[in-house]
Amino acid sequence: MSEYVKLAHGAGGKQTSELIEKVFKAHFANPEFTADDAAVLNVGDGRIAMSTDGFIVSPFEFPGGNIGKLSICGTVNDLACMGAQPLYMTCAFVIEEGFPLEKLEMIAASMEKTAAEVGVKIVAGDTKVAGKGQVDNVFITTTGVGRLTEGFATSGAFAKPGDKIIVTGDVGRHGCTILLEREDLGIEADIKSDCAPLWNTVKAMMDATSDIHVIRDATRGGVGTVLYEIAAESNVGVRLEATQVPVDPAVAGVCGMLGLDPLYLANEGTMVVIAPAESADKVLEALRGDKYGQKAAVIGEITDVMPGSVVVRTEIGTETLLPQPGGELLPRIC
Amino acid sequence: MEEKKLTAREIIESYDGPKLRIMEVCGTHTHEIFRLGIRSLLPENVELISGPGCPVCVTPVGFIDMALQLALEKECVICTFGDLIRVPGSEMSLADARAKGAVVKIVYTATDALDYAKENPDKQVVFLSVGFETTTPGSCLAVKKAKEEGVQNFSILTANKTMPNAYQALKGSADAFLYPGHVNAITGEDDCRKLAEEGVSGVIAGFTAKELLTALAVTIRKCQQGEPFFVNCYPRVVTEKGNIPSKKIIEEIMEPCDSIWRGLGNISMSGLKLREEYAAFDAQRKFDIPETEGTPNPGCRCGEVLQGKCKPADCPLFGKVCTPLHPVGACMVSNEGSCSAYYQYQM
Amino acid sequence: MCVGLAAKVVGIKDGVAVVDASGAKREVAAELIEELEPGDFVMVHAGIAIAKITADDTEETDELMEML
Repeated sequence: MSEYVKLAHGAGGKQTSELIEKVFKAHFANPEFTADDAAVLNVGDGRIAMSTDGFIVSPFEFPGGNIGKLSICGTVNDLACMGAQPLYMTCAFVIEEGFPLEKLEMIAASMEKTAAEVGVKIVAGDTKVAGKGQVDNVFITTTGVGRLTEGFATSGAFAKPGDKIIVTGDVGRHGCTILLEREDLGIEADIKSDCAPLWNTVKAMMDATSDIHVIRDATRGGVGTVLYEIAAESNVGVRLEATQVPVDPAVAGVCGMLGLDPLYLANEGTMVVIAPAESADKVLEALRGDKYGQKAAVIGEITDVMPGSVVVRTEIGTETLLPQPGGELLPRIC
Repeated sequence: MEEKKLTAREIIESYDGPKLRIMEVCGTHTHEIFRLGIRSLLPENVELISGPGCPVCVTPVGFIDMALQLALEKECVICTFGDLIRVPGSEMSLADARAKGAVVKIVYTATDALDYAKENPDKQVVFLSVGFETTTPGSCLAVKKAKEEGVQNFSILTANKTMPNAYQALKGSADAFLYPGHVNAITGEDDCRKLAEEGVSGVIAGFTAKELLTALAVTIRKCQQGEPFFVNCYPRVVTEKGNIPSKKIIEEIMEPCDSIWRGLGNISMSGLKLREEYAAFDAQRKFDIPETEGTPNPGCRCGEVLQGKCKPADCPLFGKVCTPLHPVGACMVSNEGSCSAYYQYQM
Repeated sequence: MCVGLAAKVVGIKDGVAVVDASGAKREVAAELIEELEPGDFVMVHAGIAIAKITADDTEETDELMEML
């Protein structure tokens, strides 16, 4: 590893895993330490899921959401991936000196509304103000606990050959929205972040079938990164149907301009769900009945070919490997 | 019985003649060929070689070193296309320099860098001008506008390259070339026609699945006929004379010079630099940066890879010390680079 | 080498064209193309329109295959 932290270490790909493995895991390792989105813990007689997430999105307001909404969605979705009903959350604010109060209120109101949508209570908080320039406007960290559902267990390590791979919506919209807002690329497109709290969506799937192997939030690094993680954790192959992946046309247009692949762009309201073929239809039906699952689609299946790899069936019917995600997303122009 | 007309794909898949080596010159071709899985359609006796047509890959170590000097010592804002950020210089890349405080901005086009300079008159802004005939007109437009508008804090560091002399250096590397469609969109058909007259065969190829398969089918059929050939397989974009206003603006702003290609060394008159009248916009002259050769890793065989003399896996560094996350040679840096493509697709 | 994007011209003014690629819009330099009008398709590279083109590749590839 290079001897200082680079932006690529935060991109959610291989370098992020390297950093976690070599620094954090080395010091924090214990039986509960998890590679999944949330840890499963025994507390008294029951079991809970617990998750934490930091939010530094710039700009703090973007089409489809803001840092407040995002900070609730991120933690709610991490818990929901474990099949856990989010119950309580805490939030810590680091606010830059000079930040307009009106904006802070807007952020708090948005958090209130998003939390109410899935019935989670914000029960404690912390406020710190940092000197001008020490943070960029406002950073939020949220932590949440959720109640695990009896008889329901998902993990990145549970995928089996023959399982279907489903995405709950079209891919890459949040990453694309932020890219357009943040980088001065001069591209205009009518794209909104998919940022959404998905507990009700996950609940709908769980009500339809308990036979679901993996639910993963396809945030940083996108669906491509998640599929590589699952392939490695479950020691299986993944076959993706390139033409079946739902992508908003404008997202595809932006990606075409910048030489990017929507499969590596972040989502904040889209999950990857892996379920046996028999229950995949039920999952899909449940998703399509939910307001955040309208564009859900089966995009491939789990195989026993080339464990650890993601193979793509291309638009012309050939098979090729999906390039491994890694590093900072860089527009490819020349 | 009337012979059924074969599709492009059938022509490729059914070829059983003598061994054919076809070089795709352009990095975007390499990228699309991998993305579409076209190699898996090729019979054993057709080999595709990835050539030197990725500006990031052929940009020498010394160029990155000069850019680093501008960023770190002269405190210029560096504006660049995204891919250049990770290219290793002698000691570090622009991404490393950014972690040390250098300001490196990604732009979509050269004139965006000029606009940034105009909005930030207290900063010196340098655009890293890399690329072939397709990309160069953009740099020229930006310099021309900067001069017309009297912008004092904008300059470019040039490593622009031209293909004709590179083709001479690559002669004999392959039985036929897939010429880079978007370079030919500017230059037209003349260079390729001339090459056919010299006995070098090739077709101008487009970038969609259909265009690539058609270009390969035409190449295979023409090779079977045995005569040196040239076919424009991308006529919806490439005209006979190319883009004349683009050629004019390059001619007006820049002049040919010798140029070092990473891995290939110096190719005479294969580069472009700003003409004397535009010296004020030449970052190297403006900031008095000495010509730097840099020190490439001696084990790196990028040069031979680019000429089709060896495969990425033949390089002792490939996949061991040199990976897409920690690239040593430039062919590993860009997604378009042959080594990166071979690594990603586990060839 | 040179990533190209086929896009439709939706507006043009003073040598600058606005192009649209399935809903993604950007201003690109149109100075290097003679006679460009809204509705035309262009190939764009790094913010510059480099050629006026047809909307798709069907006719071109059909004709080439006919020739073989």
